[in-house]
Amino acid sequence: METFLQQLANGLTIGSMFALVALGYTMVYGVMRLINFAHGDMVAASAFVGLTVYTQVMGQASSLFAVIAIFMLTAGLMACVGVILERVAYRPLRTAPRLSAVVSALGASLVIQNGIMLIWGPRMRIFPELVPQHYWHFGGVVISLIQVLILVISLVLMVALYLFIEKTRIGAAVRASSIDQDAARLMGINVNNIIALIFVIGSSLGAIGGLFIGLYYRGITFNMGWQYGLYAFIAAILGGIGNIPGAMLGGMLLGLFSAFISGYVSSTWADAFTFMLLIFILIVRPTGLLGERVAEKV
Amino acid sequence: MKKMLKSLFVVCVAVVMTATWASAETLKVGVQAPITGSYANEGQGIDNGTRLLANQINAAGGVMGRQIEVFTCDDQATAMASAICARELVNRGVKMIIGSYTSTAAEAAQKIYYDAGVIQTSDGTADSLTEKGYWTFLRNSFPNSAEAEYAADYMVNVKGYKRIVVVSDFSSYAVGLADATVAAIKALGGNVVSYDKIRADSQNFTPVLTNIRSKNPDVIFSAGYYTDGGQLRAQQVALGINADFIGGDANDNPDFIKLAGSAAKGAKIINVPTVDMLPYDLAKDFINDYEKTYGERPPSIWGLMNIDGMRAIIHAMEQNKSFDTRQAVEYLWNMDEPIEGITGPLKFAKDGNRIGSSYMTFEIQADGSYKIAHQQ
Repeated sequence: METFLQQLANGLTIGSMFALVALGYTMVYGVMRLINFAHGDMVAASAFVGLTVYTQVMGQASSLFAVIAIFMLTAGLMACVGVILERVAYRPLRTAPRLSAVVSALGASLVIQNGIMLIWGPRMRIFPELVPQHYWHFGGVVISLIQVLILVISLVLMVALYLFIEKTRIGAAVRASSIDQDAARLMGINVNNIIALIFVIGSSLGAIGGLFIGLYYRGITFNMGWQYGLYAFIAAILGGIGNIPGAMLGGMLLGLFSAFISGYVSSTWADAFTFMLLIFILIVRPTGLLGERVAEKV
Repeated sequence: MKKMLKSLFVVCVAVVMTATWASAETLKVGVQAPITGSYANEGQGIDNGTRLLANQINAAGGVMGRQIEVFTCDDQATAMASAICARELVNRGVKMIIGSYTSTAAEAAQKIYYDAGVIQTSDGTADSLTEKGYWTFLRNSFPNSAEAEYAADYMVNVKGYKRIVVVSDFSSYAVGLADATVAAIKALGGNVVSYDKIRADSQNFTPVLTNIRSKNPDVIFSAGYYTDGGQLRAQQVALGINADFIGGDANDNPDFIKLAGSAAKGAKIINVPTVDMLPYDLAKDFINDYEKTYGERPPSIWGLMNIDGMRAIIHAMEQNKSFDTRQAVEYLWNMDEPIEGITGPLKFAKDGNRIGSSYMTFEIQADGSYKIAHQQ
């Protein structure tokens, strides 16, 4: 039982990081019908940007204020990068065949990954212990402060995003653009601004996810974006791509699933089982867990 | 058409002539090392050291009048890039290869160097490297089996651990060390309660460690590399697993301590002496020169072992007064007296293994320094 509860805590921590990253994939897909393959590398880049903000801007201060400032600054910077990415790599291809945009996304992914390598070098960089090493023991289950922070902040952000999309006027504009861009435009919605907004939100959530990865595991490498991007992408598909609560659910489920498979079956089979789960879900529910069945326009 | 063939012929002749002219002028040395990727600092250490030694020898007049020319190829510590590197370096006409850092990359290139008659000297510690009978391979470190026997003796006889856990990734080095350690522990009558495999660079080891915790171990022996070892140690402490942590030789890297953070204190590492602990004058001089040239100390002793391999080969060529690779290797097999080395005396067995062993256990102190916990 102890082991089970500990694996549950492990799974929820990693699952909330997957979910934060998955939101970036799912929101962009929802509005643009485009898989933004560069998103995983944006997440990796934000971990490096965060480290530089810590050493250069914050002067290695590790107070609570400094940590909050690192999060705000990094999220802001990455939001700008996200908007630039959309302007440079995706907007010129908006009317082009969908495959061109996908290739452009893959190219952007390589540009960002190699950019990280050129700026910060190919070596693993190491985050300082910014969050105090504090642990709580519940029976045999150990939960650390950083795990609690990751879980709580992720949940707060996801609920806030959900409310923003469902309850505000701008949120309604986002939903309208995702249903039909032309109709939305006819209703007076500036779809370009909505798409820029999507990239701002997706990139800053990804940036927070990237900082969590840095703070939790502490070792960051220029090519780690691929691994986290892939997991988040699976999470988005699992929950139903284009669906915001779906991405959250998919991330959490994927984190739990991989923790339990690693714990009870074998950590070496975790990836194989993850992909088997994906295939199974796609066979049973092709649109993902929360995805709606929509007839393709002919 | 005839004109085209003619010009093609001229180009061919020119290429062949340049190639022969170049090889008559210089002694070509290849560096195959991970210049990018997780082990980049180790690979760059090998490259920097090789170039420093080459410059020193060149400044003193070269090898039998020939200047050394160094070519570097980045094998990214992967088998695929390694094979590409091997072909590229062979095509360049190198006489010897320094590296690679990982056994996986060294192993993938072995056959190509053997077929080309190019001497390969690597610090890879997987036993399998010397089990193929390739005369071209010279190991400049000590094999996993020597380290495994030391580690098993330390855990079972010196510390008297009753419940031992061994963790390894899938690289040929780590599996070799872990398998040999498990076998040596069993031979000494020790009790391995769990032997777990992790995927290198997967970062999230808590699920595996949670299982390990339920087995109530006295010690966790990590046979993999420092990038995973540091995170294993940090996550072990975070999960409240009250066991000693012993890392194999590839954990001996400053980044292990940074990754483990406050959890590094008390972790133990088994290895040959560190860069700072080498007692030889030759070592002190070379490390000082290295620091002067590159502004940092060599990242680990592994790069220096590769430099020793290169020194041994050049020494053999000078003794033979010939650049023949086969003769050089035979000279090294049949030496009566060891050559003085940066990392200790250099002597080689007929299977290509370096003879001897000098493993120690170090305990990491609160300030990140090493204290010798046990010596043979």
